[in-house]
Amino acid sequence: MKRRGRGIACMWYPIGFTVAANPSAATVKVNEDGTATVLTGTVETGQGALTVLSQIAAEELGIAMDDIHIVSGDTDVAPMDTGAIASRTTYVTGNAIRLAAEKAKLILFDVAAPVLGVKPSQLEARDRKIQVKNYPQRCLGIGEVAHRAQVVMGEPAIGSASWNPPTVAMDPETGQGKPFSTYVYATQVAEVDVDDETGEVEVLRIVAAHDCGTAINPMLVEGQIEGGISMGIGFALQEEMLFDKDGRHVNPNLTNYIMPTSLDMPEIEVDIVPSFDPTGPFGAKGVGEPTAVPTAAAILNAVHDAVGVRITSLPATAEKVLAAIKAKREGATKKLTAV
Amino acid sequence: MPDTFETKKQEKTVVTDVPREAGVDLRLPAVVPAVPYPIETLVPQVNQQTPAVGQRVTRPDGRMHGLGQTKYIDDMSFPGMLHAKIKRAGIASARIVRIDTSAAEAMPGVMAVVTGRDIPVNSFGPSYQDQPVLADERVFHAGDGVAAVAALTEQIALDALEKVKVEYEPLPAVFDPVEALQESSHKVHGTDTNVYAKKTIRKGDVERGFAQADHVFENRFSTQMVEHVSLEPHAAIADWDANGRVTIWCTIGRITLARGDMARTLKHPMSRIRMVGTVVGGNFGGKNEITQEPVLALLSKKTGRPVKGVYSRGEEFTSTTTRHPIIMDYKTGVTKDGKIIARKVRLVLDGGAYCSWSETTLGKAAILSAGPYNIENLDVEAYVVYTNKTMTGAMRGFGAPQVCFAYESHMDDIAKALGIDPLEIRLRNAFGEGSASPTGQVLHSVVVKESLLKAAERFGWKEGRS
Repeated sequence: MKRRGRGIACMWYPIGFTVAANPSAATVKVNEDGTATVLTGTVETGQGALTVLSQIAAEELGIAMDDIHIVSGDTDVAPMDTGAIASRTTYVTGNAIRLAAEKAKLILFDVAAPVLGVKPSQLEARDRKIQVKNYPQRCLGIGEVAHRAQVVMGEPAIGSASWNPPTVAMDPETGQGKPFSTYVYATQVAEVDVDDETGEVEVLRIVAAHDCGTAINPMLVEGQIEGGISMGIGFALQEEMLFDKDGRHVNPNLTNYIMPTSLDMPEIEVDIVPSFDPTGPFGAKGVGEPTAVPTAAAILNAVHDAVGVRITSLPATAEKVLAAIKAKREGATKKLTAV
Repeated sequence: MPDTFETKKQEKTVVTDVPREAGVDLRLPAVVPAVPYPIETLVPQVNQQTPAVGQRVTRPDGRMHGLGQTKYIDDMSFPGMLHAKIKRAGIASARIVRIDTSAAEAMPGVMAVVTGRDIPVNSFGPSYQDQPVLADERVFHAGDGVAAVAALTEQIALDALEKVKVEYEPLPAVFDPVEALQESSHKVHGTDTNVYAKKTIRKGDVERGFAQADHVFENRFSTQMVEHVSLEPHAAIADWDANGRVTIWCTIGRITLARGDMARTLKHPMSRIRMVGTVVGGNFGGKNEITQEPVLALLSKKTGRPVKGVYSRGEEFTSTTTRHPIIMDYKTGVTKDGKIIARKVRLVLDGGAYCSWSETTLGKAAILSAGPYNIENLDVEAYVVYTNKTMTGAMRGFGAPQVCFAYESHMDDIAKALGIDPLEIRLRNAFGEGSASPTGQVLHSVVVKESLLKAAERFGWKEGRS
């Protein structure tokens, strides 16, 4: 019969490289109509990074996402970037883009200040305007200012910047040091049904509460979490590269290497934990990799809760779970290790 | 502000009538179905709003994906473009005695063949440069490439691979990471030991901690090798022009590093290399390094034509990086109220044939292995070893999913033995703001307890079972 269980797992995960420098650089060019172009060396690998980076640039310049065009992934035109790895794009590239946009914005402030009769430090960029802080009615359109900067003052609003997360090397003997600038935290709770006659595990529901600092785009955070959970399910229950005795891979195809499909996906409920990291762009950290981290642990704890067997080697295939259930039934007293 | 998006309804029809000769390989540019779409209805107003941060704006590339109009590398084509295929060793450990490419080169439609000896500097890698672009003297795992062919069609290239004759002298091999640790084991790279990186983290006095503990728990956990299985395989097109400037369109997520690797392996100045990262159909850590790009560049240089290479699904598994299997021994001392006071962790990572991103994975696995918990006495030792298997490298989480499986399974076993609720035991041990990490780093913006409580509340943990 099917037995239901629940399991919880939490985790921590760092953003960026372990100690090693992993800088990003960026250029932001404000066009004469107040729209802007961002140059970045990162590559969109499907996670929506360019959308998030556009939002960061837009926020700094006080314009909308659609006012940004982002040019990426070409070593001829874009500044260097350590790339789409280590959950670092929002945090590191985001900081570089924010700093570059800020430099461009300060040029706009210098140009707008005499027109508005205030000091540049009294200005802010909001809602496509350069306006006096606390006096939003005293303003100029950002396009008007950008045009003036370039065509009248001869000072085009272009900013370039780079950023590298601060770290401290680890002691080789004790490992003491500051290997990362920041970390994120998360918990996932899984509910499963385990068929104690077949060993089959069905994941029914996963609740995921993830910290990513400020969610620059909550929809993309949810997408990352759902995708990470699908990888976590495959890691927990199905996927395994198998080798023969001569070291040749025996299942190098999607017929025999079983991975989750949409039919295997449980109901997923996502919560974004409120958090703000002062070192990230607008308080953001990252979310890419951690989404796949606690899933397997939560599922295996739920399997243990359901049928009382501890699977210690992944993946927990039906055969492995059934063998463990049988061993438990037979009253085996020996400790269950890899089956 | 120009009102770019308030334009009147536009009808656009995409050309579908791509002429195709009978019998030609189906790997032609993707034929996009006719989609007349009114642009205005596809632009949600949220993308026009300020402030931009926090908005659920839609992805510009999402529309292209949805309409089937994204151009992946396999959708790209250039006049005169050739297709490349790589011959795989199929033997895990061997010395290459000779490679005879003459029969392949004589085939009609075959334009060029390269082997490892044609690569100017035949080694690369982010930490250690221990990986050849194509195996030349030795084969270290069955997925190693030994020769590459550029031909008019993919099919001719595949047929030509059959005619490349390679003579191997089989060598001993080692596949099990624990066996690879032993002194008597075969040394994959001929060094004194197969261990190529080690990480230790020590804090407090772990033996004293165990002595003071009310209970000590021990268990061994292990995980398997898995692949990223991106929908889009590794693909690239290289075009070496008459001025010696080479452009590579590639699926690599890190073009800055890739250009450095290209400059090294080709012995070519960076100013003459242009890497273009196209829209990538999934990365998950698997597309962080060069693979076939130097080979395609050389084939293009030899033939004066653009050369495309697209990995098969089989090559994705056997010839690109995978996730590290890890054997994890945990020993944990706790007080009777469930407070962890000492933990000892031993990790052995199966690094496969080459280092790739193993050093990074080793470091992250070691640092994270104690879990998000305050533990005064900690002793972690982690090793990564060479084996004659597909190399392991970067994959979403860099060792964290493996150690999380171990420390969280272990945590539940402890909770059960002590009769403490799994949520409660985690809350008692979890980091708080200002906690010191295993490396002594003072942590900021820590919300692990908040995430535990939020997930438990949403799940209905305290309400009991459904």
